[in-house]
Amino acid sequence: MRELSVIEAVREALFEEMARDPRVLLLGEDVATLGGVFRASEGLLERFGPERVIDMPMAETGIAGVAVGLAMRGLRPVAEIQFADFIHAAMDHLVGEAAKMRWRTAGDWTCPMVIRTAYGGGFRGGPYHSQSVEAFYTHAPGIKVVAPSTPADAKGLLLAAIRDPDPVLVLEHKRTYRLIRGPVPDGDVVVPIGSAAIARPGNDITVLSYGMMLHESLAAANALAGEGIDVEVVDLRTLLPLDRTTILRSLAKTRRLCVVHEDTLTMGLGAELCALAAEAGVLEVPPVRVAMPDLPGIPVDDVLEDAVLPNRATIRAALVRLAGAVPAGSARRRAYDASIPQASSVVEIALPEEHTRAALDALVVACRAVPACNASFAWSGIVNHAQVVVDCDFGPAAPARGGGTITLIDYGREGADLAIPFVRPGQTAALRIGAVRDGRAFVACSVDHRAVDGADVGRFLAAFTTELERARAPETVHAG
Amino acid sequence: MPIHPTHYLMLRRNLLYTAMTRAERERAYRALSLARALDERMWRLARAGRAHFAVPCSGHEAIGAGYALAMRAGIDWLSPHYRDLTALLVLGMAPRDVMLHFFSRPSDPNAAGRQPYAHFGSRRLHVLSLQGPQPNHCSHGVGCAWGSKLLGDGSASVIAFGDGGAQKGEVHESMNIAAVHQLPVVFVVHRNGWTQSVKRESEYATDSLVARAAGYGMPGIAVDGTDVEAMFAASRSALERARSGGGPTLIDAQCVRFLPNTSNDDDTRYRDRTALESEFAVRDPLVRARRLVAAAFADAVDAENAALAQDAADWAEAQPHGDAQTVAEHAYA
Repeated sequence: MRELSVIEAVREALFEEMARDPRVLLLGEDVATLGGVFRASEGLLERFGPERVIDMPMAETGIAGVAVGLAMRGLRPVAEIQFADFIHAAMDHLVGEAAKMRWRTAGDWTCPMVIRTAYGGGFRGGPYHSQSVEAFYTHAPGIKVVAPSTPADAKGLLLAAIRDPDPVLVLEHKRTYRLIRGPVPDGDVVVPIGSAAIARPGNDITVLSYGMMLHESLAAANALAGEGIDVEVVDLRTLLPLDRTTILRSLAKTRRLCVVHEDTLTMGLGAELCALAAEAGVLEVPPVRVAMPDLPGIPVDDVLEDAVLPNRATIRAALVRLAGAVPAGSARRRAYDASIPQASSVVEIALPEEHTRAALDALVVACRAVPACNASFAWSGIVNHAQVVVDCDFGPAAPARGGGTITLIDYGREGADLAIPFVRPGQTAALRIGAVRDGRAFVACSVDHRAVDGADVGRFLAAFTTELERARAPETVHAG
Repeated sequence: MPIHPTHYLMLRRNLLYTAMTRAERERAYRALSLARALDERMWRLARAGRAHFAVPCSGHEAIGAGYALAMRAGIDWLSPHYRDLTALLVLGMAPRDVMLHFFSRPSDPNAAGRQPYAHFGSRRLHVLSLQGPQPNHCSHGVGCAWGSKLLGDGSASVIAFGDGGAQKGEVHESMNIAAVHQLPVVFVVHRNGWTQSVKRESEYATDSLVARAAGYGMPGIAVDGTDVEAMFAASRSALERARSGGGPTLIDAQCVRFLPNTSNDDDTRYRDRTALESEFAVRDPLVRARRLVAAAFADAVDAENAALAQDAADWAEAQPHGDAQTVAEHAYA
């Protein structure tokens, strides 16, 4: 497959679509003789002539409005707004007219037009040649918004946009134009609007991004691969309508979300994506957004611009933080843990009649393994105790005295086979050993769930019973 | 390419009495009379609370009739002004369809119950869909005219807007682009001197807008917009120029807005209705058009149109409201 830059892919799409469909025409500032300030339309005037490649006055309102009228007549105008920063003069025609045309006439009139524009910073363009504008236009039902990040998508999505029966805004990140090169399939390969792509598969965290930030996110994800953090990077490709299926499928797997965009934070696309994930109930920890801070503009000075735009280092730091919200020693909590008993609060074990000493030792081991069960809860915070002080309740003749860090209840052969232990004030767990029948007994555990997770109860019981079994069978271990 | 010499043409009635055939004059009167009948009925119904919104065209009737009669229905294209009821009628919109639009019923062919009255539009009639923010349709009309040129179908476009709308950059950009590319289009400004409550002196500093044509290198024609024959003659010459590749023309059509801006407006707060009524007595386009036809014809047509307006209103009001299940339809293809 050929390697092209993003700008070469855009140009190829324009060229091929104009050759294929005589209704397609280009209009914009500097698009004809100059071939566009980024050279997206270089050579098109020579090939298709001044009737179809048109230099327009510096009038963004008029360019967009004329495109609406051309589209209403059945032509396929592709208008270029030179910099996305200038597109707001065209907003009335995009949001007020093109977006509503089909709906307000119940399909009598339609508006199959494309506006391409170069957005994004990172090249010292200052506040009026660097902005990201997607949040304004993704809030306009009736239009579609695409934001390719690779050469193949730049071509495939532009082809799809020109053929789409509705108005499409194509946001091309100007830094990708020459920086990003990649394979582009030969021939007429359309990338459907509304489909995201998995740019990098992973299991631990889902990054949702697009444009130049997609490439920065990939760099951050690759850097973390050696550190046991397996990041999935989803290239949104279409920003309106969102590909909810691909997004939610990824999040159902990773249950952790980081949105990365160059646009400013508040009311940005990240807010919608986080809401989408929250409403679907798929996240196990709060989502993280990496975005430009809420500033009126992107400054031009090297140091200042670098300070406000997200980059692979800031994305990496956010991902590490997000990954760090899990227990130490594993990048991610496994959904299935074979060491946890199936019924995690009650377990039946082999136990001799005389077991008090071994049970106390095992309880200390279990408390060390799961400190949450050897703690005290208060609304001001949870305190894990440094020492294990077992408060023993051996029946009416020898009741618990209170004041320990955990309670062990064991009424011996006179007690019930299975009973619920009560968690005492100042503690987070209580363990009860039932009466031993035929060398077996039930062990039940109660916890204060404000301080102890359900799975931790299982781990606690597993540690307790494993330790008891280990203490009972030293000879077997030696013999083996 | 030499730019067409800019000229101002003040068309006088005595030059124009031969402009229309008798059949055309009768057709014009029929349209003006029907527009007035519908307009009056809509005004009363809106004021009575039976519909949401009326946008009267009283005083503007001759302007739309003039260019619509000079257009080839179904071939040429109109980006309408919101007081263009007469033009719509001449181009073929039925009174019942007007009333469906007025009552905002989903069967309304203009806006399907989604836009309120006076947001005209019909692909069948070659009338571009009109929007709320004025006058965004100017550049749509320019794009439409550009389409005619590119497709080479010989059609021309009329773009109508008010003198309030003319103060927006939209009109400047549209006229400039049309002139640069010599597009087959006629710009018509319905110049009634009011932008809702804001008087002419607060909107623009000249007595008329016709001189603006010179700034774009296009001919400008100042017309008495209450004179349907003058309007027809000016439109016909401008449309002929457009069709023959001569590029755009601006027609400044001065008229009187007889009623408040809309049924939500109270014009007694900003203008003297007594003076207005005496002006309207001599400049009512319908009264003036009546002189172009036989009195008996006019009387018969008025009676016929009163009945048509009543039938259309009664019928349309009885049509069903929308089905909430369909509100999301047509958001996308």
